[in-house]
Amino acid sequence: MTDNTISPESAEAEEFFMDPLPGQERFVAPVDETPLKAVDSVDESEPATSMWTSAWIALRKNPLFIFAAILIVFIIIVALFPQLFTHNDPTYCNLDNSLGKASGSHPLGFDQQGCDVYSRVIYGARTSVSVGVLTTIIVVAVGGFIGAIAGFFGGWIDSLLSRITDVFFAIPLLLGAIVLLQMFRTSDSIWKVVFALALFGWVQVARITRGSVMEAKNLEFNTASTALGSTPMRNLFRHVLPNALAPVIVVATTSLGTYIVSEATLSFLGVGLPSTTVSWGGDISTAQSLLRINPSVLFYPSAALAITVLAFIMMGDAVKDALDPKSRTE
Amino acid sequence: MSNETNKQVQQAAQEPLLEVKDLSVQFTTDKGHPITAVSDSSFTVYPGQWVAIVGESGSGKSTSAMAVLGLLPGTGKVVGGSIKLHGEELVGKSSKDYEKIRGVQMGLVPQDPMSNLNPVWRIGTQVKEALKANNMDVSREKRSSLSKALSDAEVKLKTRDDELFIGSQERPELLAAAKAALQKAGVASVDEKMATFEETWVTGSQTRWLVAQDLIKAGVPDDDAWAVAKAHVTGSNMDDRIAGLLAEAGLPDAATRARQYPHEFSGGMRQRALIAIGLASRPDLLIADEPTSALDVTVQKKILDHLHTLTDSLGTAVLFITHDLGLAAERAQHLVVMYQGRVVESGPSLEVLQHPQHPYTKRLVNAAPSLASQRIISAKERGVDAESLMEHHTKGEETLEHSEHIITVDHLTKEFKLPRKREMFKAVDDVSFSVKRGTTLAIVGESGSGKSTVANMVLHLLDPTSGKVTFEGRDISTFKSKDLLAFRRRVQPVFQNPYGSLDPMYSIYRSIEEPLRIHGIGDRKSRVKRVRELLDMVELPESVMGRYPNELSGGQRQRIAIARAMALNPDVIIADEAVSALDVLVQDEVLRLLNDLQAESGLSYLFITHDLAVVRQIADEVVVMQHGRLVEHATTDEVFDHPKRQYTKDLLDAIPGGKLQLGLDS
Repeated sequence: MTDNTISPESAEAEEFFMDPLPGQERFVAPVDETPLKAVDSVDESEPATSMWTSAWIALRKNPLFIFAAILIVFIIIVALFPQLFTHNDPTYCNLDNSLGKASGSHPLGFDQQGCDVYSRVIYGARTSVSVGVLTTIIVVAVGGFIGAIAGFFGGWIDSLLSRITDVFFAIPLLLGAIVLLQMFRTSDSIWKVVFALALFGWVQVARITRGSVMEAKNLEFNTASTALGSTPMRNLFRHVLPNALAPVIVVATTSLGTYIVSEATLSFLGVGLPSTTVSWGGDISTAQSLLRINPSVLFYPSAALAITVLAFIMMGDAVKDALDPKSRTE
Repeated sequence: MSNETNKQVQQAAQEPLLEVKDLSVQFTTDKGHPITAVSDSSFTVYPGQWVAIVGESGSGKSTSAMAVLGLLPGTGKVVGGSIKLHGEELVGKSSKDYEKIRGVQMGLVPQDPMSNLNPVWRIGTQVKEALKANNMDVSREKRSSLSKALSDAEVKLKTRDDELFIGSQERPELLAAAKAALQKAGVASVDEKMATFEETWVTGSQTRWLVAQDLIKAGVPDDDAWAVAKAHVTGSNMDDRIAGLLAEAGLPDAATRARQYPHEFSGGMRQRALIAIGLASRPDLLIADEPTSALDVTVQKKILDHLHTLTDSLGTAVLFITHDLGLAAERAQHLVVMYQGRVVESGPSLEVLQHPQHPYTKRLVNAAPSLASQRIISAKERGVDAESLMEHHTKGEETLEHSEHIITVDHLTKEFKLPRKREMFKAVDDVSFSVKRGTTLAIVGESGSGKSTVANMVLHLLDPTSGKVTFEGRDISTFKSKDLLAFRRRVQPVFQNPYGSLDPMYSIYRSIEEPLRIHGIGDRKSRVKRVRELLDMVELPESVMGRYPNELSGGQRQRIAIARAMALNPDVIIADEAVSALDVLVQDEVLRLLNDLQAESGLSYLFITHDLAVVRQIADEVVVMQHGRLVEHATTDEVFDHPKRQYTKDLLDAIPGGKLQLGLDS
């Protein structure tokens, strides 16, 4: 049919101008049933929300987030102001008290060295939280920078940076940290652990950032911005990075928990922080031989570690749900 | 056709195939509130009929169709009314019972050919799946009651075996036997007849009785013809049938194509494969949900023409969901117009379109860009305004040559390197044209014609391989930093995708303010004032300033994009498919806005589009492109009234409903 003209006389028109079959008669709905709306009117029923505001609204309603947030705030207060929770010195140990029972001012009893378990658990929070937070900051800064450069510029820069990333990716975080820390056994600063973890931990963030920057830079608004006169660097900072941030935040929150565990593991293995620094990992290490005699000495630092890590991982999950509603499981 | 058979056919067609009465569908939101998507909608489909449901996005047209198929997504639920297929109630059927009905009695041709084929399976396997799931007999045709009535009229069917298909193994023998029979009967021009047979006797698609009929028509005596057909048409196997189905859907060289993967197919070929799958089990009702809206017009026309012939011969009824009034008018006998989840008007399609009664239908008919429509504002009227404004524009810019042509494209060529291939791909091949000041030049072409590449080169986003673009007499490739910034200020783009061209992190205020900021224009206070003016210019309330793109509709975002482009008082706007993603009514409004802006500020437009109907509404001159080459260049009226090239004629022909006169009352 190249000729679409249909005149009432033509043969083709027969079916068109046939009497309508039952159920297909001409029907016009009353106008008041569906009043005409203005074409394309702005819906002003709800207040304006940016992606961050709506994420925050979603977060506030998430019980997982509220629970995790309360825990994290509490842990941070403990880490900053341990004196508020205990008057005992965690490093004052008296062998007379070795494995002593719990009493009024020593609610969790004493360990083998005669140190107060409760105060050691409280003071240990500072070490764990500092290592976790500092490592995360360095990892996000370094990994984010390298990933963003690689993803945004592509080409040989990407190839070079990606190969370097691959090399680091091949080394497991813990194994790398153990080997590295062997060289600094004498130092007692927490920075050596932070750097060791950051050195092998930035890779993950770099990969995530690279991927999400590559995705964001191909979005049309970047072309639009270039055509408006914007420079590539301006596009990177004003458009690409803000749009690539969400997955990085999620990974950073979740891995904060992982770094705390790694620090504990390193201290447990004896390559992390020296025994003079109060840390959960170190305490778990010394308490392991007492598992059968007095398991509670092992239990309290382990529980503190588990709760802290859980809090950060739950937070990561809640943030992920809020930033990417599609990933919600229900 | 005799009178008696006509009656028979009428009788078969008299019983409604699908009866939807007072259908209501609700969805539940995250918060548990019910949202009514379809309410109290009724429509009827008769066997063999094409019925179109027309409406804008969100009108409930697709939801109604999915409710009929029992495939409502997510929380969707039929909350009232009835859906009857062959008089059998479908509402409340278990999903298991529905599985028996889908495929065999109802088929679906989905909207998006790109995502509806599984990329890891061969096309043939996916057709096979449809045949197997419904336990189809691959050796013989299954006919609807209507087509039985039709075919009975022409050839008396003796046995079920007369519906057997030609098999690939026996086809050469059949052709040889047919040739012998023709020679024996002493028929003239045997070779010519054989050539037709070669073409029409498709394995897995042509049946024994049709073969016999063809032979009889060619002049072979009845008995001989039937003997040949009976001896050499003994049924096809699975592979033959798959090839036959694909061939029916219009895929050339179907047997080879069946072994290919979806990525080796173009969009049109994929849609043909989906049609083959939808029709594989010979359903009585085929639901086609915007089956061609992702395709070029010429491809759309071919596919729909083919589908029409196919469903006519099979007696399949088609429920056709579309947003395109012209298409609906051209294809369907009966038309159902939906708005806000309700049927606002229905009836014989031509009658509804020529005498629309509901205000919404009237509005739709008025906005439909068909061939009958004219330039929204006459060029003369605009030209006068433009001249006075242009003086204002060029003040203080004496350094720039003031020529009649603001942009000139001179022998522009762009080559791309294809991955894994030696030779370069010529996306744009020696294209020259120029845009006159204060007028609109439209570049029309189908996907892959190179029109967007031209736009990107004019915008200085891509460098041409050879040739040059001049802006006010200066070669834009020589522009460096400062000149380039000045060029950017005067030539602004509006892109196709209203969802992608605005940064979702930016509020509307920041988006519109961005160009002012980049070019360091004004202080904070004056920028706020300018953004207010711009919003007013694109007819949006000031209150949207604090909103974010995700809170606005596609049309509103496109207005924002236009406001952003206008922020720097440009001389040229390059609109790359700027209205293609919008509903007709919204599209009409945006086009009017663009026209008004041109009249007010003497803008020049380079308007890239695939839609010729839109061109007539906005353009003064048209450049038609095909495969990177310029095919035709003339004024809009010339191109529409006296197209010179065949390709342009094809394009014009393919505009759906282009020659129908709509809205006679208004």
